Amino acid sequence: MSGTKPVDINISSKRTKSLVLTGLLFAVAIVVAVLEGMLPPIPVPIPGVKIGLSNIVVMYVVFFLGAKQAYGIAVLKSFFVLITRGAIAGALSLTGGLLSITIMLLIMYFTNKKASYAITSIFGAISHNIGQFIVISLIYTGTSVWFYLPLLIVAGVVTGLLTAGILKIILPALNKLVK
Amino acid sequence: MKFIKRTDFIIIAVILLVSFISIGAYVLTARDSHVYAEIYLESDLIKTIDLSEGLDRHFSIEARPNVVFHQTADGRIRFEDSDCPDKVCINAGYLSISGQFAACLPNGLILKIVGGDKNEETPDMVVGNQGGSN
Repeated sequence: MSGTKPVDINISSKRTKSLVLTGLLFAVAIVVAVLEGMLPPIPVPIPGVKIGLSNIVVMYVVFFLGAKQAYGIAVLKSFFVLITRGAIAGALSLTGGLLSITIMLLIMYFTNKKASYAITSIFGAISHNIGQFIVISLIYTGTSVWFYLPLLIVAGVVTGLLTAGILKIILPALNKLVK
Repeated sequence: MKFIKRTDFIIIAVILLVSFISIGAYVLTARDSHVYAEIYLESDLIKTIDLSEGLDRHFSIEARPNVVFHQTADGRIRFEDSDCPDKVCINAGYLSISGQFAACLPNGLILKIVGGDKNEETPDMVVGNQGGSN
Protein backbone atom coordinates (compact mmCIF):
# COMPACT_ATOMS: atom_id res chain seq x y z
CA MET A 1 0.00 0.00 0.00
CA SER A 2 1.34 3.41 -0.92
CA GLY A 3 1.98 6.10 1.66
CA THR A 4 2.06 3.85 4.69
CA LYS A 5 2.92 5.81 7.78
CA PRO A 6 5.70 4.64 10.10
CA VAL A 7 3.09 4.14 12.82
CA ASP A 8 1.29 1.54 10.72
CA ILE A 9 4.51 -0.31 10.03
CA ASN A 10 5.17 -0.38 13.72
CA ILE A 11 1.73 -1.82 14.47
CA SER A 12 1.96 -4.46 11.78
CA SER A 13 5.45 -5.50 12.83
CA LYS A 14 4.17 -5.77 16.39
CA ARG A 15 1.33 -8.00 15.23
CA THR A 16 3.71 -10.12 13.18
CA LYS A 17 6.00 -10.43 16.16
CA SER A 18 3.10 -11.51 18.37
CA LEU A 19 1.98 -14.01 15.72
CA VAL A 20 5.44 -15.53 15.35
CA LEU A 21 5.95 -15.62 19.10
CA THR A 22 2.60 -17.30 19.71
CA GLY A 23 3.36 -19.90 17.04
CA LEU A 24 6.78 -20.52 18.51
CA LEU A 25 5.44 -20.88 22.04
CA PHE A 26 2.70 -23.21 20.78
CA ALA A 27 5.40 -25.42 19.24
CA VAL A 28 7.30 -25.37 22.54
CA ALA A 29 4.11 -26.33 24.44
CA ILE A 30 3.52 -29.31 22.13
CA VAL A 31 7.13 -30.53 22.40
CA VAL A 32 7.07 -30.19 26.20
CA ALA A 33 3.75 -32.10 26.36
CA VAL A 34 5.15 -34.92 24.20
CA LEU A 35 8.34 -35.09 26.27
CA GLU A 36 6.31 -35.19 29.48
CA GLY A 37 4.32 -38.10 28.07
CA MET A 38 7.58 -40.06 27.79
CA LEU A 39 8.37 -39.64 31.48
CA PRO A 40 7.29 -42.43 33.83
CA PRO A 41 3.88 -41.73 35.42
CA ILE A 42 3.74 -40.23 38.91
CA PRO A 43 2.73 -42.89 41.44
CA VAL A 44 -0.30 -41.23 43.03
CA PRO A 45 -3.73 -42.79 43.61
CA ILE A 46 -5.48 -40.42 41.22
CA PRO A 47 -6.05 -41.57 37.65
CA GLY A 48 -3.90 -39.72 35.14
CA VAL A 49 -2.43 -36.91 37.22
CA LYS A 50 0.62 -35.24 35.69
CA ILE A 51 2.64 -32.11 36.32
CA GLY A 52 1.36 -30.41 33.19
CA LEU A 53 4.70 -28.98 32.11
CA SER A 54 3.21 -27.44 28.98
CA ASN A 55 1.14 -25.24 31.30
CA ILE A 56 4.36 -23.34 31.97
CA VAL A 57 4.17 -22.06 28.41
CA VAL A 58 0.44 -21.34 28.68
CA MET A 59 1.09 -19.40 31.89
CA TYR A 60 3.81 -17.36 30.24
CA VAL A 61 1.39 -16.45 27.45
CA VAL A 62 -1.34 -15.53 29.96
CA PHE A 63 1.05 -13.35 31.97
CA PHE A 64 2.95 -11.63 29.18
CA LEU A 65 1.22 -11.93 25.80
CA GLY A 66 -2.52 -11.75 26.34
CA ALA A 67 -5.84 -13.53 26.57
CA LYS A 68 -6.36 -14.06 22.83
CA GLN A 69 -3.01 -15.77 22.35
CA ALA A 70 -3.50 -17.92 25.45
CA TYR A 71 -6.92 -19.17 24.33
CA GLY A 72 -5.51 -19.72 20.85
CA ILE A 73 -2.73 -21.92 22.16
CA ALA A 74 -5.14 -23.86 24.41
CA VAL A 75 -7.52 -24.58 21.51
CA LEU A 76 -4.70 -25.57 19.13
CA LYS A 77 -3.10 -27.74 21.78
CA SER A 78 -6.31 -29.64 22.48
CA PHE A 79 -6.72 -30.12 18.71
CA PHE A 80 -3.26 -31.67 18.71
CA VAL A 81 -4.28 -33.93 21.61
CA LEU A 82 -7.50 -34.80 19.74
CA ILE A 83 -5.67 -36.06 16.65
CA THR A 84 -2.91 -37.84 18.57
CA ARG A 85 -4.72 -39.27 21.60
CA GLY A 86 -8.40 -39.35 20.73
CA ALA A 87 -11.66 -37.54 21.39
CA ILE A 88 -11.87 -37.98 25.17
CA ALA A 89 -8.32 -36.80 25.76
CA GLY A 90 -8.98 -33.85 23.43
CA ALA A 91 -12.15 -32.86 25.28
CA LEU A 92 -10.29 -33.10 28.61
CA SER A 93 -7.45 -30.94 27.33
CA LEU A 94 -9.84 -28.32 25.94
CA THR A 95 -12.03 -28.00 29.04
CA GLY A 96 -9.10 -27.99 31.44
CA GLY A 97 -7.15 -25.50 29.34
CA LEU A 98 -10.00 -23.05 28.79
CA LEU A 99 -11.14 -23.12 32.41
CA SER A 100 -7.64 -22.64 33.82
CA ILE A 101 -6.86 -19.74 31.46
CA THR A 102 -10.19 -18.09 32.31
CA ILE A 103 -9.58 -18.42 36.06
CA MET A 104 -6.01 -17.10 35.77
CA LEU A 105 -7.18 -14.11 33.70
CA LEU A 106 -9.98 -13.39 36.19
CA ILE A 107 -7.51 -13.49 39.10
CA MET A 108 -5.17 -11.11 37.26
CA TYR A 109 -8.08 -8.82 36.38
CA PHE A 110 -9.64 -8.63 39.83
CA THR A 111 -6.35 -8.22 41.69
CA ASN A 112 -5.01 -5.67 39.21
CA LYS A 113 -2.14 -8.02 38.39
CA LYS A 114 -1.07 -7.89 42.04
CA ALA A 115 -1.59 -11.60 42.66
CA SER A 116 1.66 -13.56 42.68
CA TYR A 117 2.76 -16.02 39.99
CA ALA A 118 2.52 -18.86 42.49
CA ILE A 119 -1.06 -18.28 43.61
CA THR A 120 -2.29 -17.60 40.05
CA SER A 121 -0.59 -20.77 38.88
CA ILE A 122 -2.06 -22.79 41.76
CA PHE A 123 -5.61 -21.65 41.00
CA GLY A 124 -4.97 -22.27 37.32
CA ALA A 125 -3.84 -25.83 38.05
CA ILE A 126 -6.77 -26.50 40.41
CA SER A 127 -9.31 -25.25 37.87
CA HIS A 128 -7.57 -27.28 35.14
CA ASN A 129 -8.05 -30.42 37.25
CA ILE A 130 -11.64 -29.56 38.14
CA GLY A 131 -12.50 -28.81 34.50
CA GLN A 132 -11.14 -32.17 33.42
CA PHE A 133 -12.92 -33.95 36.21
CA ILE A 134 -16.28 -32.41 35.28
CA VAL A 135 -15.84 -33.84 31.79
CA ILE A 136 -14.84 -37.26 33.15
CA SER A 137 -17.88 -37.39 35.42
CA LEU A 138 -20.13 -36.34 32.51
CA ILE A 139 -18.68 -39.09 30.31
CA TYR A 140 -18.88 -41.80 32.96
CA THR A 141 -22.21 -40.83 34.43
CA GLY A 142 -22.77 -42.00 37.93
CA THR A 143 -19.11 -41.71 38.82
CA SER A 144 -18.77 -39.69 41.98
CA VAL A 145 -16.63 -36.59 41.62
CA TRP A 146 -16.59 -35.93 45.32
CA PHE A 147 -14.06 -38.51 46.37
CA TYR A 148 -11.45 -37.12 43.99
CA LEU A 149 -12.24 -33.43 44.32
CA PRO A 150 -10.10 -32.74 47.43
CA LEU A 151 -7.31 -34.94 46.04
CA LEU A 152 -7.36 -32.97 42.79
CA ILE A 153 -7.22 -29.70 44.70
CA VAL A 154 -4.16 -30.89 46.63
CA ALA A 155 -2.59 -32.09 43.37
CA GLY A 156 -3.34 -28.68 41.87
CA VAL A 157 -1.54 -26.89 44.71
CA VAL A 158 1.55 -29.06 44.22
CA THR A 159 1.69 -28.93 40.42
CA GLY A 160 0.77 -25.23 40.38
CA LEU A 161 3.66 -24.38 42.70
CA LEU A 162 6.00 -26.55 40.65
CA THR A 163 5.11 -25.02 37.29
CA ALA A 164 5.26 -21.48 38.72
CA GLY A 165 8.71 -22.26 40.12
CA ILE A 166 9.97 -23.59 36.79
CA LEU A 167 8.52 -20.56 34.99
CA LYS A 168 10.34 -18.30 37.44
CA ILE A 169 13.62 -20.09 36.66
CA ILE A 170 13.29 -20.04 32.86
CA LEU A 171 11.75 -16.56 32.70
CA PRO A 172 15.04 -14.73 31.97
CA ALA A 173 15.71 -17.08 29.04
CA LEU A 174 12.16 -16.63 27.70
CA ASN A 175 12.42 -12.84 27.98
CA LYS A 176 15.66 -12.91 26.01
CA LEU A 177 13.86 -14.89 23.31
CA VAL A 178 11.03 -12.37 23.17
CA LYS A 179 13.25 -9.30 22.89
CA MET B 1 4.29 -9.48 39.70
CA LYS B 2 5.99 -11.17 42.62
CA PHE B 3 6.69 -14.87 42.67
CA ILE B 4 4.95 -15.54 45.98
CA LYS B 5 3.46 -13.33 48.68
CA ARG B 6 3.03 -13.83 52.39
CA THR B 7 -0.77 -13.97 52.12
CA ASP B 8 -0.41 -16.79 49.58
CA PHE B 9 0.85 -19.12 52.30
CA ILE B 10 -2.33 -18.53 54.29
CA ILE B 11 -4.51 -19.23 51.24
CA ILE B 12 -2.51 -22.38 50.43
CA ALA B 13 -2.70 -23.57 54.05
CA VAL B 14 -6.49 -23.08 54.15
CA ILE B 15 -6.97 -24.91 50.83
CA LEU B 16 -4.81 -27.84 51.96
CA LEU B 17 -6.45 -28.03 55.38
CA VAL B 18 -9.99 -28.09 53.96
CA SER B 19 -8.96 -30.72 51.39
CA PHE B 20 -7.29 -33.02 53.88
CA ILE B 21 -10.18 -32.74 56.33
CA SER B 22 -12.70 -33.67 53.64
CA ILE B 23 -10.53 -36.57 52.43
CA GLY B 24 -10.28 -37.82 56.01
CA ALA B 25 -14.00 -37.43 56.64
CA TYR B 26 -14.89 -39.25 53.43
CA VAL B 27 -12.51 -42.13 54.08
CA LEU B 28 -13.73 -42.52 57.66
CA THR B 29 -17.43 -42.57 56.73
CA ALA B 30 -16.99 -44.78 53.66
CA ARG B 31 -14.56 -47.31 55.12
CA ASP B 32 -16.98 -49.68 56.82
CA SER B 33 -19.60 -49.84 54.12
CA HIS B 34 -20.24 -52.87 51.96
CA VAL B 35 -18.79 -52.17 48.53
CA TYR B 36 -18.87 -53.77 45.12
CA ALA B 37 -16.49 -53.46 42.20
CA GLU B 38 -18.01 -52.94 38.79
CA ILE B 39 -16.12 -53.52 35.57
CA TYR B 40 -17.33 -51.69 32.49
CA LEU B 41 -16.27 -52.48 28.93
CA GLU B 42 -17.06 -49.66 26.49
CA SER B 43 -19.65 -48.26 28.95
CA ASP B 44 -21.42 -51.61 29.44
CA LEU B 45 -21.42 -53.17 32.89
CA ILE B 46 -19.97 -56.64 32.33
CA LYS B 47 -18.98 -57.79 35.82
CA THR B 48 -19.91 -57.02 39.42
CA ILE B 49 -17.74 -58.32 42.24
CA ASP B 50 -18.61 -58.34 45.92
CA LEU B 51 -15.38 -57.12 47.50
CA SER B 52 -16.33 -58.42 50.94
CA GLU B 53 -16.26 -62.06 49.87
CA GLY B 54 -12.67 -62.37 51.08
CA LEU B 55 -11.16 -63.90 47.95
CA ASP B 56 -7.62 -63.29 46.82
CA ARG B 57 -7.47 -63.91 43.10
CA HIS B 58 -6.21 -62.70 39.76
CA PHE B 59 -8.60 -62.69 36.85
CA SER B 60 -9.23 -61.29 33.40
CA ILE B 61 -12.36 -60.75 31.38
CA GLU B 62 -12.82 -62.71 28.17
CA ALA B 63 -12.85 -59.70 25.85
CA ARG B 64 -9.57 -58.30 27.25
CA PRO B 65 -7.33 -61.24 28.20
CA ASN B 66 -4.27 -59.00 28.44
CA VAL B 67 -5.72 -56.97 31.28
CA VAL B 68 -5.33 -58.66 34.66
CA PHE B 69 -7.27 -57.62 37.75
CA HIS B 70 -6.21 -58.45 41.29
CA GLN B 71 -8.81 -58.77 44.02
CA THR B 72 -7.53 -59.06 47.59
CA ALA B 73 -8.96 -60.81 50.63
CA ASP B 74 -9.25 -57.53 52.52
CA GLY B 75 -11.62 -56.06 49.94
CA ARG B 76 -9.46 -54.15 47.51
CA ILE B 77 -9.13 -54.44 43.76
CA ARG B 78 -6.73 -53.08 41.16
CA PHE B 79 -5.54 -53.28 37.60
CA GLU B 80 -2.58 -55.64 38.07
CA ASP B 81 -1.37 -55.75 34.49
CA SER B 82 -2.40 -54.30 31.15
CA ASP B 83 -1.08 -54.10 27.62
CA CYS B 84 -1.91 -50.40 27.28
CA PRO B 85 0.92 -47.94 26.59
CA ASP B 86 0.43 -45.42 29.39
CA LYS B 87 -0.32 -47.74 32.38
CA VAL B 88 -2.52 -45.09 33.97
CA CYS B 89 -4.88 -47.87 35.10
CA ILE B 90 -2.13 -49.79 36.94
CA ASN B 91 -0.79 -46.60 38.42
CA ALA B 92 -4.16 -45.90 40.06
CA GLY B 93 -3.33 -48.68 42.52
CA TYR B 94 -5.77 -50.48 44.82
CA LEU B 95 -9.35 -49.29 45.06
CA SER B 96 -11.55 -50.02 48.04
CA ILE B 97 -13.71 -46.96 48.78
CA SER B 98 -17.05 -46.23 47.18
CA GLY B 99 -16.55 -43.55 44.53
CA GLN B 100 -13.03 -44.54 43.55
CA PHE B 101 -12.41 -45.62 40.01
CA ALA B 102 -9.62 -46.47 37.64
CA ALA B 103 -9.85 -46.37 33.88
CA CYS B 104 -7.91 -48.02 31.10
CA LEU B 105 -9.05 -45.89 28.18
CA PRO B 106 -6.98 -47.65 25.47
CA ASN B 107 -8.77 -50.90 26.39
CA GLY B 108 -12.14 -49.23 27.03
CA LEU B 109 -12.22 -50.58 30.58
CA ILE B 110 -13.43 -48.85 33.72
CA LEU B 111 -13.14 -50.31 37.19
CA LYS B 112 -15.44 -48.62 39.64
CA ILE B 113 -16.23 -49.05 43.32
CA VAL B 114 -19.90 -48.65 44.17
CA GLY B 115 -22.14 -49.25 47.13
CA GLY B 116 -22.12 -48.18 50.71
CA ASP B 117 -25.91 -47.88 50.78
CA LYS B 118 -26.50 -51.59 50.27
CA ASN B 119 -25.81 -52.42 53.91
CA GLU B 120 -29.30 -53.74 54.53
CA GLU B 121 -29.23 -56.28 51.74
CA THR B 122 -27.30 -59.48 51.78
CA PRO B 123 -25.08 -60.15 48.75
CA ASP B 124 -27.33 -63.03 47.72
CA MET B 125 -30.36 -60.77 47.52
CA VAL B 126 -28.48 -58.31 45.33
CA VAL B 127 -27.43 -61.05 42.94
CA GLY B 128 -30.98 -62.38 42.92
CA ASN B 129 -32.45 -58.96 42.17
CA GLN B 130 -30.14 -58.44 39.25
CA GLY B 131 -30.95 -61.88 37.84
CA GLY B 132 -34.66 -61.23 38.16
CA SER B 133 -34.60 -57.91 36.39
CA ASN B 134 -32.80 -59.31 33.36
